[in-house]
Amino acid sequence: MSASANTGRMEQFTYDDAIVRKFAWATVIWGIVGMLVGVILALQLPKPEANLGLPYTTFGRLRPLHTNAVIFAFAGNAIFTGVYYSLQRLLKARMFSDLLSKLHFWGWQFIIVAAAITLPLGYSQGKEYAELEWPIDISIALVWVIFGVNFFGTVAKRRERHLFVAIWFYIASIITVAILHIFNSMAIPVEFLKSYSVYAGVQDAFMQWWYGHNAVAFFLTTPFLGMMYYFMPKAADRPVFSYRLSILHFWTLVFMYIWAGPHHLHYTALPEWASTLGMLFSVMLWMPSWGGMVNGLLTLRGAWHKVADDVVLKFFVAAVTFYGMSTFEGPMMSIKSVNSLSHYTDWTIAHVHGGALGWNGLLTAGMLYWLAPRLFQTRLYSKKLAELHFWGGTVGILLYMVAMYVSGVTQGLMWRAFDETGRLTHPDFVETVLRLVPFYWVRLVGGLMYFGGMCLMAYNLAMTWRARPAKYEEPVYEAPALSSQPVPAEKIVSPMEEEKAPVAGVAYSLEKFLLAAWHRRWERLPVVFSVWVAVAVIVASLFEIIPTFLIRSNVPTISSVTPYSPLELLGRDIYIREGCYNCHSQMVRPMRAETERYGEYSKPGEFVYDHPFQWGSRRIGPDLHRVGGKYPHLWHVRHMENPRSTTPQSIMPPYPWLLTDDTGYSKVQGRVNAMAMLGVPYGESINRAGEFARQQARQIGSEIAAQGGPGGLADKEIVALIAYMQRLGTDIKKAPAEPPGQPVKTAEAR
Amino acid sequence: MKLTDVMSGAGLAIYAEIALIIFLVVFLLIALRTWWPTRRKELEDHGGMPLDDGRQAGAAHGRRTP
Repeated sequence: MSASANTGRMEQFTYDDAIVRKFAWATVIWGIVGMLVGVILALQLPKPEANLGLPYTTFGRLRPLHTNAVIFAFAGNAIFTGVYYSLQRLLKARMFSDLLSKLHFWGWQFIIVAAAITLPLGYSQGKEYAELEWPIDISIALVWVIFGVNFFGTVAKRRERHLFVAIWFYIASIITVAILHIFNSMAIPVEFLKSYSVYAGVQDAFMQWWYGHNAVAFFLTTPFLGMMYYFMPKAADRPVFSYRLSILHFWTLVFMYIWAGPHHLHYTALPEWASTLGMLFSVMLWMPSWGGMVNGLLTLRGAWHKVADDVVLKFFVAAVTFYGMSTFEGPMMSIKSVNSLSHYTDWTIAHVHGGALGWNGLLTAGMLYWLAPRLFQTRLYSKKLAELHFWGGTVGILLYMVAMYVSGVTQGLMWRAFDETGRLTHPDFVETVLRLVPFYWVRLVGGLMYFGGMCLMAYNLAMTWRARPAKYEEPVYEAPALSSQPVPAEKIVSPMEEEKAPVAGVAYSLEKFLLAAWHRRWERLPVVFSVWVAVAVIVASLFEIIPTFLIRSNVPTISSVTPYSPLELLGRDIYIREGCYNCHSQMVRPMRAETERYGEYSKPGEFVYDHPFQWGSRRIGPDLHRVGGKYPHLWHVRHMENPRSTTPQSIMPPYPWLLTDDTGYSKVQGRVNAMAMLGVPYGESINRAGEFARQQARQIGSEIAAQGGPGGLADKEIVALIAYMQRLGTDIKKAPAEPPGQPVKTAEAR
Repeated sequence: MKLTDVMSGAGLAIYAEIALIIFLVVFLLIALRTWWPTRRKELEDHGGMPLDDGRQAGAAHGRRTP
């Protein structure tokens, strides 16, 4: 296709399919693990005792394992499978380094295993989809660099001048994921597996959802679009319907996606302008996303008759359709009035599973079924089993999503319902939860069907693998080497100029610009192209980040807000360890239905010492931002020991170990010191954290005993957690703190 | 004086709107460039790249994945 740029010297090479096979197996194995954990979690909602009473298997600890396993282990390995297979063939080159390929593979699997061990043990940064602690975060960055070097090294030694659009999507993913991961994971290490985010409150929330939304964009969307643009034409044996549309699709996503993160924070303490900007760009994303969907589906033009017989095409068509559904629903949910109903409900759960199971899961399955005969060099073991997987999985997703839509809208409407006297119709939160339990069972059935499909695929691929040849054939390919000279500048002559058309000189210039030789050069110069992608992403990010961080009016300070006491800080760490944010928000939105139920709406200035923020994104249980002082200490003791003793129909699991495990005051000084490094004004506690923590714990312990509770709890974790819970949302009720320059009040003073 | 003071006093209320317009204009230029008629054939030829796996040594034509 680019013979003019070649030297004419023929070179022979082979493709490294061994690494593709490794990643394909990892995709299947981790997919099963991640989805099995999802099924267990789905069971725990109607049956909380399904955690078997173990701290390691509670919803709060397993949910991050589920999301990380499905996103980074299943989808991640699927991306690498698709990239390693397609990149080599699109560039007519073997991967840059087999060693780097292996290091990438084993490094990524090590990270997944580390996540699978640490998350159930409660080691978490408390930020959704970014829970992994700092040593693992550093490992991710290192392995990502290895992947990047191997990727760009392959691009550098390619024998095909033009970079196909799929490679543009891969490049955007590699660059942007690196930027997102590094900046969102900035944290101060406190212990080997404990750190605090350098950002606090509003800024931390902004960074988290800048990361969280763009992890969806650049980990679960752009690489899969690259795979769609490669594997759909392969499976249909048709070229891409419109290559120009694919280019437009690419640049639109790069320019627009990065802005959309704040739509996850509508009606929160985030500045209103950022929220509106996120909504606008989200709505704008709808059309280009559908352009991409249409481009994918129309690639099957003239081949639709094949879909009935070809299970791979069935998976691809369903996947692209789910992409279309998700990219319509996402912009719709980003509209503030819709979001006010959908946010914190199962509607969001339906949306993300439509994307993850429908788009990512089905595209991955189609790709693996297409690859299996080619990688294992034999026929697929059973097309019937693959068909069963397709129909079972698709019906399973639909069951799941319909149940969650009904559940989400039901709960959202119940939260905001008022009776004719102007009071909340359902003031008791648990009433709204109980209404959802039947839908949780339907969700479990849908999830089981999808999980069953994954198991069928694993069996089918394993049987195909068993029939492989004794030794894989490794075909030798040949292609002319590319010239090592830089891409020659093309002489551009404006057709109007050539015809000496009677127009102003500026018209010639405009036409020359639009002929865009400059962009043709970019398309062939991966470094320049990558730099422009990075510039687009970074500039867009800075336009939102700089004002959020540096304009003071975005986070008005509240003089009565003071740092957490050392004991409260320990309690907050327990809250994070147990993953409470997975079920409880800490953000009362400025809506009457919320202020009636929870109290005063949350202010940006209340979170300035929250490293990390704990606003949450789902309310399986009620919001906790104003829970401080609402119940006596003893209520919390009873509730954590057995939630059904205080709320008979609660679906929260018990946490009895909090009443027996020691708080461990030896670590408090280090944690206070770390907070002080982040600028939290700790005053006297900076040197006497342990002493203050014990003092406050004795006070709370004696109050629990006085309320008729058990004695001897002062050194137990429950007291630290109670200290934190009783503090939540109470600062704005206090008298203002002393003006700057005065000693800051400590736990002792309080 | 801190950077926060400078930024807070800079009156950047329309900062985000300016960014939105810049990005929209750049996007429109890319769209115009992509759909300009003279590039049609060159670009659409690239749409078939996935179908070409390369030529096997000794074979007369490029190999399409079976």
